[in-house]
Order: sequence, then C-alpha cells, then structure tokens
Amino acid sequence: MRKTNIPLKTELLPGTLEMLVLKSLERNAQPMHGYGISLYLKQVSGDVLQVEEGSLYPALQRLAIKGWVKAEWGQSENNRRARFYKLTPDGRKQLKEEVANFERTLDAILSVLQPA
Amino acid sequence: MFKRILQYWRRLLFYVRRDRFDRELEEEMNFHLEMKARENLAHGLSAEEARYASRRQFGNQTLIHEVSRDLWAFRSWERLAQDLRYGLRILRKHKGFTTVAVLTLALGIGANATIFSAVYAVLLKPLPYSQPDQIYSIGVVIPERREQLGILAPRIHDFLEWRKAGFSEMADMTPAEWNLTGDGEAERVGGARVSANLFSFLGVPVVHGRSFFAEEEVPGKDRVIVISDSLWRRRYGANPKLIGSYIVLNGNPHTVVGIASPSLLVPTGMQLHRMLPFSQRIDVWKPLAPSPRELDGEYWNQGVLVRLKPGEHVERGRQLLQSVHNKFNREMVPDLKTDFLIELAPIREIYSGKLRLGLLLVLGASSLLLLIACANIANLFLARVTSRAGEFAIRIALGAGRSRVVGQLINESIIIAVLSGAIGAIIASFGARILAVYGPEEVRLLAGSNLSLVVILFSAVISLGAGVFSSLIPAWQAYRQGAATGLQEGARMTLGARRSRRFQRILVGVEMALGTALLASSGLLLHSFIKVMNADRGYHIERVLAADLTPSGQRYSNDQQRVGYYRELTQNIRSLPGVQAAGAISDLPASAGTSGASQTIFYDNDTNFMSVVMQRPLALIRSVTPGYFAASGSALRAGRFLKEEDQTPVAVISESLARRLWPAESPANVIGRTFRQGDVTGPLISILGIVEDARPGSVDQELWPQIYRPHQQWPSGRMTLVVNTFQEPTTLAAAVRAEIKQMDPNVPIIAMRTMREIVSASVAERRFQLILTSLFAFVALLLGAAGVYGVISYSVNCRTREIGLRIALGAARSDVMRWVFSDGMRPVLIGSVIGLGGAVLIAQTLRSVLFGIAPTDPLSLGSVGIILLLTSALACYFPAHRAARVDPMVALRHE
Repeated sequence: MRKTNIPLKTELLPGTLEMLVLKSLERNAQPMHGYGISLYLKQVSGDVLQVEEGSLYPALQRLAIKGWVKAEWGQSENNRRARFYKLTPDGRKQLKEEVANFERTLDAILSVLQPA
Repeated sequence: MFKRILQYWRRLLFYVRRDRFDRELEEEMNFHLEMKARENLAHGLSAEEARYASRRQFGNQTLIHEVSRDLWAFRSWERLAQDLRYGLRILRKHKGFTTVAVLTLALGIGANATIFSAVYAVLLKPLPYSQPDQIYSIGVVIPERREQLGILAPRIHDFLEWRKAGFSEMADMTPAEWNLTGDGEAERVGGARVSANLFSFLGVPVVHGRSFFAEEEVPGKDRVIVISDSLWRRRYGANPKLIGSYIVLNGNPHTVVGIASPSLLVPTGMQLHRMLPFSQRIDVWKPLAPSPRELDGEYWNQGVLVRLKPGEHVERGRQLLQSVHNKFNREMVPDLKTDFLIELAPIREIYSGKLRLGLLLVLGASSLLLLIACANIANLFLARVTSRAGEFAIRIALGAGRSRVVGQLINESIIIAVLSGAIGAIIASFGARILAVYGPEEVRLLAGSNLSLVVILFSAVISLGAGVFSSLIPAWQAYRQGAATGLQEGARMTLGARRSRRFQRILVGVEMALGTALLASSGLLLHSFIKVMNADRGYHIERVLAADLTPSGQRYSNDQQRVGYYRELTQNIRSLPGVQAAGAISDLPASAGTSGASQTIFYDNDTNFMSVVMQRPLALIRSVTPGYFAASGSALRAGRFLKEEDQTPVAVISESLARRLWPAESPANVIGRTFRQGDVTGPLISILGIVEDARPGSVDQELWPQIYRPHQQWPSGRMTLVVNTFQEPTTLAAAVRAEIKQMDPNVPIIAMRTMREIVSASVAERRFQLILTSLFAFVALLLGAAGVYGVISYSVNCRTREIGLRIALGAARSDVMRWVFSDGMRPVLIGSVIGLGGAVLIAQTLRSVLFGIAPTDPLSLGSVGIILLLTSALACYFPAHRAARVDPMVALRHE
C-alpha cells in the first residue's frame, strides 16, 4: 500500500488531524458528520487551526479502514441525508494512546524550547 | 492479526461496493459544500461567491476523492492488473513475436513435462504397495562367480530357510506358465507360483474371494489359483460365479479362489531379475508348493521380496539375513568354502533400474532443449528491447519508474510463459499418452495416461521459471538503457543497441553450444544404435520367423512324445514352399538373453565337485533340434552340427566356451573332447562341433558360454520354432500357423514374430532414448537456426544504412555477404566447439549407453559439426543475401 499524502495547507503538525478528528468525536456524545467536525474544530481552536476542509474526508476514510470510527447515514439538522461518524471502542483506545504519545512529544519539544 | 484481517475484509467489501462508495463519498462531500455555501451565504456573500468560496476552502475535490479511494484500494494489485492488461495489448499487437515465442517455449515445456511425467511415474511416484520403501528384493552373490553371474536370484530352499529363521515378512514368486483350456480357445497364460502371503505382503488384497492359505503351500493342496482382473473380464466376462469353480490348467482342474485387484502391480518380463523370465502378462497365481525335485535341485529361480521393519536400516537387515544364511548354508554344505553374499535392492529398482539412466538422459536432453528455447526467447526480447527503446524512453520521461518499465518486460515474458505453459501442458498430455502406450515397458506399467497433478505443477513451475529466466538479460538491458538513449535520433545505432547486439551474439553462442551438445549426444546414440542393429549376433536376423510353442497335456506327457512332436513339426514346416530351413531351440538367444537353464561344465578328469566347482565355467544349456543351426544361420567354426542319428551324449559348444575350457587349443583340436555338465558324476558328453557365439538381441548384455544339446538328449517342452524363409518371413506366417494348427490344434502358439521384430523389441529402450533425444536435438537445431537467423537479420536491419554507405563507397556485394557471414558464424563456431567439448564430456558419463564407439567417435561428432555448420550457414544466407541487395540510395534515406 502506497501512502499518499495530500498537501494540507494547514498549521497542523503532520499526523495530528486524525487525532483531532477522533478527539472531536469523543467530546461529542452524538455521532457527527464531516461538516460538523470541521465546524467543531474551527470553533474549539478559535480559528487557529486551519484545516483544508476536504482533507477531512481521506482522514475519515483512513479511520474507517482502521476500524476506529464507524459511519452511518442519518438525517442532518436540516433534514438532509448526511453520513455520521461514531467512535468505536478501538478508536477510543487508539485516541488515548495517540494523545499520550503526543503529550510526551510535546513535553519533549517544550523542554527543548524552554531551557530550565 | 485479527484486526489486520478485518481491515482487509473491509477493503474487500469496498471492492464489491465500489460504485456505492463513490456515490456516497460524492454525496457526503456535496453535503459539506452545500452547508459551507449556506454558511458563506449567511456571512453576506452572493450565491455564486458563496459556492466558489466553499469550493476553495474545501480543496481539490477530485483529488480528495481519488486519494480516499486509493486508501481503500489494493493499489499494487491494481497496478499489476494494469501492467498485465498493457502487456496483453502489446503482445496482441505483435502477433508474430508472440506466436513464435509462445510456441518455442511451449515446445520446450511440453517436452520437459512429457519426459517428467515418465520420470515421475518410474522414479518418483510411490509404488502401489503398502509402505513400498520397506520392500527389498533379495539377491545372492557367489563371490568367486560375481564376474560372470552377477547377482543371482535365490533358490527355493534359501527362501524356505530364511522364512523358517523368522523372516516372516517375506514373499516369494517364481515364473510359471500354463495352458488354459475349456471355456473357449486354448491359450497360454503367464503367471507365477507364489508364497501364500504374497497379496497381504504387498498390501494389495484380492478384491473378490480370498487369497491363499499357508497350508496350500503343499503339493497336492496347491490346486487353487487367484486370477487377474483382466483375465477374469476377458475370458469369463467378470462372472462372479467363477470364484469357487474349476478351470483347467495344463489339463488339471484348479479352483479359482480369488480375483486379484485390478491395480495390482507385479513384475513382468525380466524386471525382477534378469534370469527370471516372467510373462509379459501375469494372469494366474498359484501357491508355491515345491516338489521334492525342486527342493533338491540347484535352481536359482526365485524372486524373493523382504519387508524390513519400519525404520530399519538396509544394511542392518542385510546383515541379519546374511548371518542366518551363513548358518544354514554351513550346516547344509559343510565343505563349501565360500560364503554366499546377500544383497538387498529396493523394490523400486525392479521397475526403474534398467530405465533410470535412459530416462535421466532423455530428461537432460529435454532440459537442454528448454534452455535453448529460453535463450531464443531472451534473444527475441533483447531485439525488442532495443527496438522499443523509444517507447520505454517516453514512458520513463512521462514519469514511469525504471523498475516499472523493467517490471513491464518481465510481466510480458510471464504472460508468454503462462500461455506456453498451458500449451506445453496440452502437448505433454498427448506426449504422456503416447509414452504410456509406446514407451518402454516400465513406463507403460507405471504411468497412467493422464497427467498427474505433480506433472502439471512441474510444468507450471518450469514455465514461470523459464519466463523469468528468459527475461532477465533483456530486463537488465532495458534497465541500463534507461531514458537517455531512446529519445535520440537514430536510436538503433546507439551504444545500448550495440551492447544488446553483443548479448544477442553471446546468447546465440550459448544456444549453439547447448544445441551442439544435444545434437552430438543424439549422434552418438544414433551411431551406437546402428552399430547395435548391425552387430553380428551369431544368427540371421533377416528372413527368419520364430514361433513359441508349448505342447502339453495328455498327448505330450512324456519327453518322447514332445521330442516326436518337434521332429515331425520341423519336418513338415521344412517341406512348405518358401521355407529354406526349420528347427527349434529351447531358449531363443535373441529373446532369452541369459535366462534358461545353466550348469557348471566340468572337465572329464574332475573328480571332487566341491574343490573345483567355483573354478569351472558356467554355461547356458540350450536344447536344439538338428535343423536349428541351418535355420538360425549360425556359423560352424569346427566339427559338425547335430544329426537326428546322434545317440551317445553329444553337444555343440560355443566358441567362447571352447576358448574358456581349452585356451591353448585351436577349435579343430577341441572336437571329440569330452566334458560333464552339472556334476562330476554325470555322463561324459563329447563335443561334435563348435559354433559361433550367439548374443542376446540387445547385444550389450554380457556374453555367456553356451552348450547346445540334441533335443532327444535334453528334452524341453517349451521350444521356439525357427523358420528360415526365402522371402519376407511374414508372407509365410499364415502357412506356418496353419501347419502348426493342422498338426495339433490344441498346441497354442504363444507368439509368432520375425527375428527382426524380436531384435527390435530387445533394443526398445535404446530406441526410446534415441528417438526422444533425436527429436529434441532436431527441434534444438531448428531453434538454433531460428536464433541465428533472427539475430543476423536484425543486425542487418539495424545496419542497413551502414551497409548502404559502404556499398556507395565501393564495397563489393561479395564483401557485404562475407561481413554478414563472418558476423553470424563467429558465435556459431565458438558455440559449436564448446558444445562438442561438452558432448564428449556428456558421452563419458554415458559410456554404458554407447555401443561399439568411443565417446569421441569422429564420425558422429564430425557429421554433427557439418550439419550444424550447414544449417547455420543457411540461416545466415538469407539475411546476407538481403544485405548484399541493399540499394545504397534507399538505405541512405533509411530512418
């Protein structure tokens, strides 16, 4: 399998988008659709994190392949058909690991940047 | 692990619902865009601006869609499928190339798979017995006689003693034949007298009825038989009521107790032992209940099989037997100075022993052929790599990886390999069927006519191997060629092309070397075959008819009657018009080889049997009617032939026996001397004549001394009538047959063949090797010529411009011809010289197959060289001719 990276015009660290998507799904008890996730990310980060919205969709597919999210069609707020994503137990576990990893990396980076 | 499988499962599902995936992703993204547009609209943008902004913020929708799809798809597989499709398209476009390549490879694969089917059946496939690896046949060697006798078949009391000593897993069989009468025409049936446990020993139980009881191994109780499935069907219409009823063998009723399994494999002919002539068809088994006479005599005529304990080493088993044997032998013959050696041979050797070398030889020949085919295809590919340089360069320039281009090439050759593998398998299925019918006896016995799975796998593996193998050099060449050269003007004359031409020449050289080796080997085999066929056997081969007869039953119960029968018959036959001479012999030298009775020959002054028996020669004893020598055409060296009137014990002996007994004497001085046969107490036999040695039909067996006794003095029931005719012997076959029937319709004619047919049958293995090897060599020659032709004409094409230029500058046409010839013949010459050297080496290892010629036989090797040179020269001629015809004006505008 060849990994294809699509260019993300974003300030995101590589690989973090998927973690953010998982986190969004964890925070919201309800299943979310792609547009909802993008809205949520923008709101929570206060427009700091610039995500090319389209790139959400390959990320969601990747998560679906891994079995970390589950997709189901449902009705949107305005009664349109939309695909809703839900975190699976595997996804929850994965998120926990990734967050822990990320924090460790971040700590390390911070300790380099701010010498005691 | 489990998660991984789940992932693949999800991805597989994706394949099934691909369209739905596309639709849903599209819908999902459209939903997003719409929501976004709505949001932008709310921010006060116009409808069009809102839509545009939403698209901009979203990114490249098509790319995103593709990327998402790629996430799911099995990319590398799809790429493979793509390459395959492309390869198929290319191959379809170049039909000529594809056809030639596929057929070439298919021939190679078909030949190999055919031969492998025989090799597998004879050498590799487990024999149809239970635990066949534990079964060995037992041979006995008299150390002092090893040279002449080799390994002997055991005697009946050997078998009985071994069995008594506790070797319970042991079976015995000895050749037997009977006249079967009643329920139709009298016929001679072949079979064996066997120990009661034979069927259970082999692990192939009788399918109807029962096999024998141990108590039936006693004279008087042994009139029970098991018959073969084929006899049961052929003669009795598979009547189940036959079991328990009587059939008449040699005039005596026998109870049929069982029908053997149709798949029972037993040795026929001389497979089990070269001195144990079993019939070609084994139809009847009878318990071996040795008569007192048999128990008393020295008959080395038992085929004894032993089953070793699981895991027991052969040598250990041999030693056990040896110690038992030594013990009883010393008790039985205390003054015998020698210990007979026990030898064990795996049962597979019974069926494959004689054929192994020949089969491997032919397999070697067919693999050479396959190599040549591979070289040929590699050459074709190389030429195409150079001519497709432009295509490759464009593909590389457009972003294809070099490896992908090379992969593409390997891909194409694998497609060709798969196609040729399929065609090769079809060829092999015909070939195997032909072998199963016309091949050597062992192949016919063991090979089914259907290809086994193993053979199909074999052809699949070799075809893939051949595909990859033949694309290696072209692929490497394509890799090195890369992008740079292809796009330039006149790419054909570039460095890459030159290098590629050098490779082509090397390949032609290799092809020629392999082809020469193959051709030379088959030349040596052919010359040997001619030598064998023309060898002086000591009897006429042309215009001789031979019929095997066995008078038996009430009318021929004593020797007198049998002798009378043959005397009258030969007289009657002699009076037939067209008959030159007629006689009869107990074991026809052409077919019997060294089988039949043999006895030790003693000087008339020998007195102590034990002290001299090992030093005296052993001779085959043949019983002949007086007319035999005239009919066989054997030359008299001294003395005279036998006459009807000879009363006192007399004999005609073979030249080699005379030399052996009286090395210092001339043949004339031996006439009138006397000897004893079998024992020092026997009657004195005086020598009437000395006759040239008679060799077996296959000639290459060892030569045994022979003694010919008058039929009336050494009677034999089964005799071969030998008729020397004035014309083609087959024209008299009907008359001879009628004469035999007229004398007594109840005497079955077992076989009637011309001497030429008998000799021809006895060299069947030789012919098998020769025909296949020559066939392969012929194909190899054609492939080699095609290779030379292809390379030279390609080279001429590439150099058209250069040649035109040279002609324009004044080169004579003959010069051009010479260039092309020397260009083409150089690799041929180098290759053939290497090949001839290789052939001599191969022939060294095949010494035992050669006859009457040295491995360096100049006639064979020389003619092979000439054939090769002529063929290659012919292959060069056409391109050379074309080159000489090049019109300088046209050539200079070329390209």
